[in-house]
Amino acid sequence: MDNLGARILVVEDDSQIRNFICYALRSEGYKYSSERTAQGALSLLVSEPVDLMLLDLGLPDFDGMEVIKKVREWSEMPIIVVSARDQDKEKAAALDLGADDYLTKPFSATELLARIRVALRHLYQQNKNQQHTCYQIGDLRIELDKHLVFLKQIEMHTTPMEYNLLVLFFKNSGKVLTTSFIIKEIWGTDYGSDTQALRTLMAGLRRKIETDPAKPRYIMTEIGVGYRLVDE
Amino acid sequence: MAIHQKNYSDFVNLLFMGAYLASASLVGYLFRYIHFTETNIIMAYLLAVLLTARQTNGYVYGILAAIIATLAFNYFFTAPYYTLAVYDPNYLITFVVFTITAMITSALTSHVKQSAIKANEKEAETKALYMLTDHLTDAESMHDIAEIAVKIITDVMQCQTGCLCFDENGLPEGKFVQQLSPEEQIHRDVTDPEELKHRIEGLRTDSVSGTEFNDWLIFGRDNVLGLIRIPLKRTTAMTEAQIRLLRSMIESIALAMDRHRSSQQRQKYREATVQERYRGNLLRAISHDLRTPLSGIMGTAEMLMDMTNSNDPRHDLSKVIYNDADWLYSLVENILSLTRLQEGKLILNKQLEAVEEVIGGAVHHIKQHSPEHEITVKIPEELLLVPMDAKLIEQVLINLLDNAVKHTPKENEIRIQVSKNTATNDVMFSVADRGEGITQIDLPYIFQMFYTSQSKQADAKHGIGLGLPICDAIVKAHGGNIEVHNRSDGNGAEFIFSLPMEVNQDG
Repeated sequence: MDNLGARILVVEDDSQIRNFICYALRSEGYKYSSERTAQGALSLLVSEPVDLMLLDLGLPDFDGMEVIKKVREWSEMPIIVVSARDQDKEKAAALDLGADDYLTKPFSATELLARIRVALRHLYQQNKNQQHTCYQIGDLRIELDKHLVFLKQIEMHTTPMEYNLLVLFFKNSGKVLTTSFIIKEIWGTDYGSDTQALRTLMAGLRRKIETDPAKPRYIMTEIGVGYRLVDE
Repeated sequence: MAIHQKNYSDFVNLLFMGAYLASASLVGYLFRYIHFTETNIIMAYLLAVLLTARQTNGYVYGILAAIIATLAFNYFFTAPYYTLAVYDPNYLITFVVFTITAMITSALTSHVKQSAIKANEKEAETKALYMLTDHLTDAESMHDIAEIAVKIITDVMQCQTGCLCFDENGLPEGKFVQQLSPEEQIHRDVTDPEELKHRIEGLRTDSVSGTEFNDWLIFGRDNVLGLIRIPLKRTTAMTEAQIRLLRSMIESIALAMDRHRSSQQRQKYREATVQERYRGNLLRAISHDLRTPLSGIMGTAEMLMDMTNSNDPRHDLSKVIYNDADWLYSLVENILSLTRLQEGKLILNKQLEAVEEVIGGAVHHIKQHSPEHEITVKIPEELLLVPMDAKLIEQVLINLLDNAVKHTPKENEIRIQVSKNTATNDVMFSVADRGEGITQIDLPYIFQMFYTSQSKQADAKHGIGLGLPICDAIVKAHGGNIEVHNRSDGNGAEFIFSLPMEVNQDG
C-alpha cells in the first residue's frame, strides 16, 4: 500500500486531539511526527522529510495561516487544515492560501483518514506525472481526449462551461474547491466574487448529472466555502 | 422699586440742574455788580449747562438746561428786568445763538459721557466672559460647569443664581445648584420637576418666566442642556447690556457643556469598543477551550468504539461517552450562536444562494449523524436564488431536521419542502415530521428561550430548548417569519418559515 511509506506531520497544540490523531494514523500504518507549535513545525519541516501536514489553525505561538504561507514558498506538500473555528472565511482563506483540504472539529477518525487518503493520492499522481485521459466516479465518466461526458454509459450533452467545470472537479476530485478559486479558473481573474453566475452554472450542471439536485450524489456543496466532487 | 429708582434719579438730575443754574445766576448778579460785561454772564450760564450735561444722564437735561439758561438770562439780566420781554432786539440774536451753542455743547458732552459708559460696559462684559470661559475650560463634569457658571453669573449680575443641568435625553435632573453668597453654594431638590418639564416642552425662546424666577435655557447643538435661574426681580431690572452679557455667558456655558458631552460620548464609544473586543475574545476563548477538549473526547471515544466489538459492553460505554460529548458540543455551539444573535451584533453575510444547495448541505449533515432516517426533499424544478446568509439558514434547517429526527421513528417519513409564494414574493420552507406532534400546552412557547417541553419527563437532555429560539432569531434577522403547527393529515409537526425574495433596503 502507498500508505506505508507516507510521513505525516501533525501540528496540534491540544494533546488529547494530537494523541487521537496519532493513534488513528498509527492504526493505518502511517509514519508520523507531531509538533505543538508553529515554530516547531517549521524547524522540523526543514530537517525531516514530510509528505503531508495536518495543521491546526489556532496555534499558541502564531497563526496557522502563516505556516501555510511559509510552507508554500518552497513546498507543494498537501496541507490539511484542522480547525475548531466556525468562521468559514478563515477556512476559505486557508484554502486560497494553498491548503488542500480542511476538517472542522469535531471530526471522526474515518473522516480524517479519508481526507488523508485523497490528499496522498493526488500527491502520488502528481509525482508520477500521470496524465489521465479518462476519469470515472460512480456512473459519471469524463473522457478528456474526446471531450465527452457519460452518465450511465450514455453520452451527455454539456455546454463548454459545464464541461470546463466538470474537468476542474475531476482533476481535483475529493478536494474542496473554494468559490473564488472556481470563478477564477472558469471565468478568469477579472470576474470578482460574483457567486451568482457560479450558482446558476452549478444548478444547471446538477440538473444534468444528479437525480435529485437537493441530495447530490457527485458534487457536494460546502456551504460558505465552496464545492467538492466526491471521491470514492 | 424700579419705578422708584427712576423717579429718584430724575429728581437728583433736576436738583443738579437747578443748583448749577442758580449758581450761574448768582455769579451773573455778582458780575453785574462789579460791572463786568454781559458776555461773562452768558459764559457763566454756558458753564452751568455744560456741567449739567456732564452730571446727568441723557441729552434731555442738557437741552432743558440750555433753554432754562436762556430764559433765566432774559429774565434776570436784560431790560426790562424780571420779565421775559426784551426792549433791545439785539438780545434776540444773543438768545438764539446762546441756546444753540448751549444745546450743541451739552449734546457733545452727553455723547462723550455715553460713549465712556458704553466702553466701560463693554470692558466689564469682556472681562466677565473671559473669566467665565477661562474657568469653564478647567471644568471636569457637567456639574463643575454648572457650579462655575452659577458663581460667575452671581458675581456679575449680583443676584442669587441657580443652574439646573439636563441629562442626555434632554430631561431636567433632580437637583440644581444655587449660589447663596459669593462663598456659599448649595444643591437643592427641584420642587416642581413635572411642571418644569411641561413648561420647557416645545419652547424655543430662550427664557421662561415663573412666579419668582426667570429661567434662561441653555441650548446645545441637539437639545436643551440646562437652565440658568435668576430671580424675576433682577431680570426685570436688567439693562439691555446686561441681558446681552447674560446671553453671551449662556452661549459660552452651552459651548462648554456641548464640548463636555461630546467628549463624554467619545469616551463611551471607546469603552464600548474595548468591551466589545473583550467579549469577542472571551467568546472565542470559550469556544476554543470547550470545543477542543470535547472534540478530543469524541475522537477518543470513537477510537475506543472501533477497537471493541459491538457485543462488548465497553463498546456501549464508549458510545455513551461519545454521545454525551456530542451533545455537550452542540450545546456549546448553540450557546455561542445564541449569544451572537442576541447581542444583535450578528452581521448577516447575505448573498444570493441556491435553495437546493443549502438544503443539500443540511440534509447531508443530518445524514452523517443519523443515516437511518429517510428525508424526502421536494423543491421546485426552477432554480431559486434567495438572498440569505447560507451558513445561518443551513443552521436553521439543521436544527429543524435534527428536531424532526429526534421525534420521528426511523421508519417514518421526514419531509422538507420548498415553494415559492409569488403573491408575497417569499420562499416558504417547510420541515414536517411524523413524530408525536406538539401538545397544545407547548405550542405557544416553543420558540421561547430555555423552554423545555412540559409533556415529557426526565429525558430533558434533548430539550435544552435553544435550537428553536435560534431558528426564530435567524429567520427574523432575515426579515422572515417562522411558525409551527401540527399536521392535519396524521401525526407529526410541521415547521414553516419564510424568507423574502428581495433584499430589503434597510435589512
